[in-house]
Amino acid sequence: MIQKKVCLLGTSGVGKTSLVAQFVHSMFSEKYLTTVGVKIDKKNLRVGEEDVTLMIWDLAGDDDFQRLQTSYLRGTSGFLFVADGTRAVTLDLLIELKARVETSMGAAPFILALNKADLAAQWEIDEARIAGLATEGWHVIKTSAKEGEHVEEAFAELAHRMLN
Amino acid sequence: MNSRSREPSKPVRPIYPGQPAPREPVTELEEIRHLLLRREQKQLRDVQAHLADKGQRAHDVSSVLPQAIKISSGRNGELTNALRPTIEGAIRDSIDRRPEVFIDALHPIIGSVVRRSIAESLRNLLQSFNQTLEHTFSWQGLKWRFEGWRTGRSFAEVVMLRSLVYRVEQLFMIHRETSLALLHVSADAGPGQDADMMAGMLSAIQDFARDSFQTGSDAALEEFRVGELQVWIAPGRHAYLAAVIRGNPPRELRTLLEETIESVHLTKASALAIFQGDAAGFESLRPELEACLRAQYDKSKSAGARKGKVPFVLAAVLGLIVAALIVGFRRQERWDNFITQLDEQPGITVTQARHGWIKKSRIAGLRDPLATDPEEIARKAKLNPAGIQFDWKDYQALDPSLVLQRFRAAYPPPATVDAALDQGVLKLTGSAAYDWIVPVREGAPKIAGIVSVADEQLKIAYPPQPVLQRFSARFGLPDGIHATIGAKKTLILEGEASHAWLAQVRVGAKEIPGIDEIDDREVIDLDSQTFKETKSVIESAFIYFLVDKDNFATEGFAALSRLPDQIRRCLDSAKRLGYAPVIEIQGHADAVGGGARNVDLSQRRAAAVQTFLVACGFDPHFFRVLGLGAPAVAGVAVPEQSDRRAEFKVVLNPGPTTP
Repeated sequence: MIQKKVCLLGTSGVGKTSLVAQFVHSMFSEKYLTTVGVKIDKKNLRVGEEDVTLMIWDLAGDDDFQRLQTSYLRGTSGFLFVADGTRAVTLDLLIELKARVETSMGAAPFILALNKADLAAQWEIDEARIAGLATEGWHVIKTSAKEGEHVEEAFAELAHRMLN
Repeated sequence: MNSRSREPSKPVRPIYPGQPAPREPVTELEEIRHLLLRREQKQLRDVQAHLADKGQRAHDVSSVLPQAIKISSGRNGELTNALRPTIEGAIRDSIDRRPEVFIDALHPIIGSVVRRSIAESLRNLLQSFNQTLEHTFSWQGLKWRFEGWRTGRSFAEVVMLRSLVYRVEQLFMIHRETSLALLHVSADAGPGQDADMMAGMLSAIQDFARDSFQTGSDAALEEFRVGELQVWIAPGRHAYLAAVIRGNPPRELRTLLEETIESVHLTKASALAIFQGDAAGFESLRPELEACLRAQYDKSKSAGARKGKVPFVLAAVLGLIVAALIVGFRRQERWDNFITQLDEQPGITVTQARHGWIKKSRIAGLRDPLATDPEEIARKAKLNPAGIQFDWKDYQALDPSLVLQRFRAAYPPPATVDAALDQGVLKLTGSAAYDWIVPVREGAPKIAGIVSVADEQLKIAYPPQPVLQRFSARFGLPDGIHATIGAKKTLILEGEASHAWLAQVRVGAKEIPGIDEIDDREVIDLDSQTFKETKSVIESAFIYFLVDKDNFATEGFAALSRLPDQIRRCLDSAKRLGYAPVIEIQGHADAVGGGARNVDLSQRRAAAVQTFLVACGFDPHFFRVLGLGAPAVAGVAVPEQSDRRAEFKVVLNPGPTTP
């Protein structure tokens, strides 16, 4: 059994917590996010022949009200970045955040989840931008916390990247 | 030492000045060096040779090794930790390859180890048992029981928690860099909280504390307390231990934790440094971590304070109450059983039962005199009858068993009789004497509970003696008669009896139960005999008369005077035989004289006899007078005295010709 620490990052309101809520084994309440700034969940999955346990550190959003505690990032094996597809600004902020994280932590496998895929009408991020990110090495998956779409896939892809 | 002992065997050639030596240096410098350093060079060569010789080196190490180990073991157990993997590996390998060697070696000690372990377990068990007993009746114990009831914990758990000084409940070994749990041990068996998430959150909290108070990266949260629990953290370079402790642990525990994490770093330093998420390699550290799961209980707290008098008295009072309750319950149970048994007895109906705990108990009701003795039942129910006052009113119970009992008392049946009662009908089977059944038939229906008697299935026997008694009671038994009962219920009579008795018997004897036939062939009918005899005497008498007169001749009168008695007996017996005889008096005359004269004479002669007999007291109508005249003669009539006579004939009229 391999364990990996994964950090869930994104600005406030992009739906990080809701995204994983129904896919993980949870023990701590969400109030930890506002008090301690982190909530730890657990996700078991199988990659190829190997059982992997992802310890998912759901970090409080980085904004004016709450500063990201970078010490929580220590020892992480991968990142699940989350942005809100209906608010392009969250992606901009995320790209900044990613750069900051990589500066302090160094590069690590990551996935970008563009959340709220169910709200297609309000979508602000066009395919061209997504293609652009892809050429820069971003793996982008459109997810919907509401419908539960592609969330498992995002975890599996990240685990796969971390193990190889 | 050995090298010194070898020296003599190694010849050293002496070198003298001016004398060329083999392999001498050619240059001056070399020569000078040789001259100056000859001894050292040789020593150097010796040392080099010594070092090159592996066997020699091993020899040397072996001589200092024991001392080296002794010195090293004094230094914080570094040697122990360094040697452990090798020794463990060697032992494991040896066990894999040749387990019998270890079995042989361990065999002598394994028994005593097991014994000690069992003794230790038993001692712990006993202690826990003692604690439980001590707390069971104490005030504190009651309080703890209440607490257990309130919080849903078991009493044992509450006792343990309350007398606990401290207990290390969980121990996490957490990788510092990744915050992942390397190993988790717990004092309680069974699934606990998720160790991985706990480990993560513990790390996060440490980071949080450190960041929040900006204490710098080396500073660490050492302990924090949450209610009855506290978490102690023993930091290490790559990993740290987090111990979850209940109660107040001593400082020595911290030392233990720190030593443990140090030891972990010594044995697993490289594995910790390159840890990438696979914690399987740290499983071997489990015993070491489990050794930290220590606990201590306060014996004085759990045993001392509550040994006061009040709990003891309370326990004693409680004990007495419980004992009294048990005794009372058992007494009541016995009483209830007794009443039930009593009420179930045929012939006993309990109408009132009062169990006196101190006074006498009292039972009132109805009791058939034939019913089982209630005192006997009381004794069987383990009650003292003297402590019970019985007030019974007599009555006749209709329970079949009692009805039968009453019947048997009134009519003791022979062993051959089976009696049963069915809806008031007394059914008798088997066999019994007639004399037993007769009164039963009449008397049994008068017994309460018996309506009628059914004895169709009963075979009735007739023993001779009672039959004969009944016979003689009915008919009387004349002196001359001997009566017996023969086969086929035949009454056999022998001897002599009056006709009247016989006639009575012939008619009536068969009415007597036990007599179906009468055999009286051997009985003489006395009346018939008398009749025959007297008739014969009377008819053979001749009463002679004087010639041509109706006066009796002397011998005629003598004959006549003998007759009245015979006639009386004849008439009496005939009467008893049922006859009404007439005695014909036939008068005769001799042939002398005329016919008419002779008829008259013969008539007068017969009348004279009648007159005599009537004078003797006989009723004239018993007699019929006939004058038969003279016998018819041919020739000259001769006066024959034999013709001058009267004679008798007993005529049965009416009635049978012969009796």
